[in-house]
Amino acid sequence: MTLTAWRMWAGVLGILLSASAVARPVSYTGGWTLIQTANRASTAGLLHYSLSHNVSVGVRHEWQRDDDVTLTVIQPTLLAKRWYGQNYQANVYLTGGLGTATDRSAAGLGSDTASFVGVMTDWETRTLFVSYEARFLEQGKLGNHSMHAARVGWAPYTGDTGELHTWLMLEVDHRKHFDNKTTVTPLLRFFKGPALFEAGYNVTDSAPMLNFTYRF
Amino acid sequence: MKNILLTLTVILASLPVLADDNQKITDHHAQHEMNHGEMNHGEMNHGEMNHDEMNHDEMNHGEMNHGEMNHDEMNHGPEHNHGSHEHPTENAKEDVMTMSVPAITTTDDISAALANGGAPVVVDVLGVVCDFCAVAMNKIFGKREEVSALYVDLDKKTLSLVVNKGASLSDEDIETLAKRAGYRIAAIRRNAEALGG
Repeated sequence: MTLTAWRMWAGVLGILLSASAVARPVSYTGGWTLIQTANRASTAGLLHYSLSHNVSVGVRHEWQRDDDVTLTVIQPTLLAKRWYGQNYQANVYLTGGLGTATDRSAAGLGSDTASFVGVMTDWETRTLFVSYEARFLEQGKLGNHSMHAARVGWAPYTGDTGELHTWLMLEVDHRKHFDNKTTVTPLLRFFKGPALFEAGYNVTDSAPMLNFTYRF
Repeated sequence: MKNILLTLTVILASLPVLADDNQKITDHHAQHEMNHGEMNHGEMNHGEMNHDEMNHDEMNHGEMNHGEMNHDEMNHGPEHNHGSHEHPTENAKEDVMTMSVPAITTTDDISAALANGGAPVVVDVLGVVCDFCAVAMNKIFGKREEVSALYVDLDKKTLSLVVNKGASLSDEDIETLAKRAGYRIAAIRRNAEALGG
């Protein structure tokens, strides 16, 4: 199998197994979570282990498709604050990453140290959802990127435990290094037990969004 | 003034939070065969009443409004201290009367565990809004040997537990486990209270 074919399959796998970074990046104490995302910019996977209810450590691998750069980092995440209500939950997460970025393109720019910092915050009830996340990535000679994304969501019905939960969502993202800097993605979120799946389409940049999270 | 004491009596009697005490009051009146509806409350001194003649069942409860009573002019007896309790308005009474706490959610596992002599526990959990919350608590509480069955009810926002016969799981343990799952608890009910009794 050629390198191109491997990358195509990797992309397909990433698209099939992807999830929003705001889908609870810290789990219960001792829990494992697989989060994979595919959007107009990248395909990424994060496998993390929660050391406690507010700290997780994981390994992230990300393919920035436009630049053909891969990023492999150790990613710790801190649940800095959680608000507990009878009918809502709100969270603020701080995250970071440190590792290596490698240019896979024909330009052959090699590798460099990569690091990022990010913040994620969300507020949700059984039927309403609002979130915001931002990430600032430095990759030395391979370039720096920033990303902002905000979401709103609404569940047309309230599913009980173990039932299929369905959400209608709208995401707006801003990526400074893209031609279309600000884009809109309507998406559907399906949630059942330990699995979360999202499917959307970026109507501004004509790109699919497919995310998946599984909690072990 | 005639209906004031009637109102006081019936509203207190109708409050679910005072159900046990009010049953005692009703029983007390029934024992003494009084006709409260025929009393002249304007001239009453509750401390000096002859309870032998009261009949609580014949009172006109529909005309009572405890929120409009003038308690300053009442004499409910030497042991009655208005400063030690609140007299709800009509609306407040409705709030109190409709207030209830969810009982244990019964599943096949929970019913079987209860049938085996397990002790029911209901935990009100804060911040439970999705299935990931349920997964987290299932994982954390499900590992405990003391727990024979559990269910996270997103509708009731409760964690229903059955503790093995002979085992114990303290409130502090439950609070710690909920925290490890990433959540907080608001209240814990056990045994008859957990069953809705």
